Amino acid sequence: MIYVKFILLALVWLAISSAIYERFYRRYRNTDKSHAFEQKTIVRSQPAGCVDLKINEIEATERSRIAGDNAHEFRDRVLDKPSKRAT
Amino acid sequence: MSFHCTGCGADVTINTQNALTARCHWCRHIFGINEQIPNGAVPDAILPFRIAKDNAVARISKFVKVRSFFALSAFKRAFSPENVVRVYLPYMVVDASACARLSGRGEKQTRRFERDKKTYYDADIYHIERRLDFTVDDLILESSSQRNNLEEHTNNIINSILPFDTKNALKWDASYMVDATSEKRDLNVPQLQSQLRDQLLSVARAQLLRTIQQYDRGVRWEQENIEVKGTRWISMYLPVWLYAYHHHTENEELTHYIAVNGRTGETMGSVPIQKWKLTVFTVVVSAALLAAASWAMRYL
Repeated sequence: MIYVKFILLALVWLAISSAIYERFYRRYRNTDKSHAFEQKTIVRSQPAGCVDLKINEIEATERSRIAGDNAHEFRDRVLDKPSKRAT
Repeated sequence: MSFHCTGCGADVTINTQNALTARCHWCRHIFGINEQIPNGAVPDAILPFRIAKDNAVARISKFVKVRSFFALSAFKRAFSPENVVRVYLPYMVVDASACARLSGRGEKQTRRFERDKKTYYDADIYHIERRLDFTVDDLILESSSQRNNLEEHTNNIINSILPFDTKNALKWDASYMVDATSEKRDLNVPQLQSQLRDQLLSVARAQLLRTIQQYDRGVRWEQENIEVKGTRWISMYLPVWLYAYHHHTENEELTHYIAVNGRTGETMGSVPIQKWKLTVFTVVVSAALLAAASWAMRYL
């Protein structure tokens, strides 16, 4: 039991260490910074064409979010295939 | 005149009518006559400096001052912000008209309930498609291959001081180059097309966010496509105050930049870290935090 407690403490200590190191590393090196062109570029758009079709239901899932949610990951590219339905 | 720097490989353009010595603004290597190369393309427009040198020096000094504790000792010893240089960096400023089409899955929660101390959810699954016709105004793309790759050196720093007020750009005139150096443009429209498509898709994804708010369990885009209908490209020199520090060790060779937007004063930089110092600090502080938390859980 004491070994389990020791291992748990070591894991928590590692997690805290990593978080502190990462925080200072980013503050000094700013490796995560880049121009937010998605928000800062002037865009004029027509009203979006939308298709929303209910295709299924999920019951009693423990997952609180959709798998692979990428709605806010604007720079992550997905398959480059045109959709034909939305006009 | 343009020179090829044997120190870092950059192609640098210098107005030798106003400069007695020719020095690389990236690594401060002093050029020899044998490093001279033909001049690069003349840009269409230029955005003159608005931020004066003493203002830029003050901003860089302040940026470094608040990051000095863990900064590399050699960097602190060599730090001389008055060596900041006026640089015009080459960009392509693009207006574009495009049509984006996306499709994917969205989920709406219909019920949430507890069973055996666990939380469960019911949800409806939707197939969603979106089409957006849009135009972008003055999207700025780096047009120097050395600066375009954000993974190399600390190029992301120079990218992060964008945007510029490009609407105030003036027709190119060499007289604006007095006391300034410039980076040669070596990327043209064909080489920047894929980057433009990529950025337009990102812009479309951001714009379409407001059309998917009803999917409270999130959206997974699975397919996307952009059709670029028309573009207008302007090559432009944009003003940057640049301080560079070349960090060379056995395992690592990296040029750290601190850059000040020559129009807005936006400042960003990369300060090299004294890694052993940060590691010791991290180990001690995390151990102290853990000990304090253990003590609190035991006695409070």
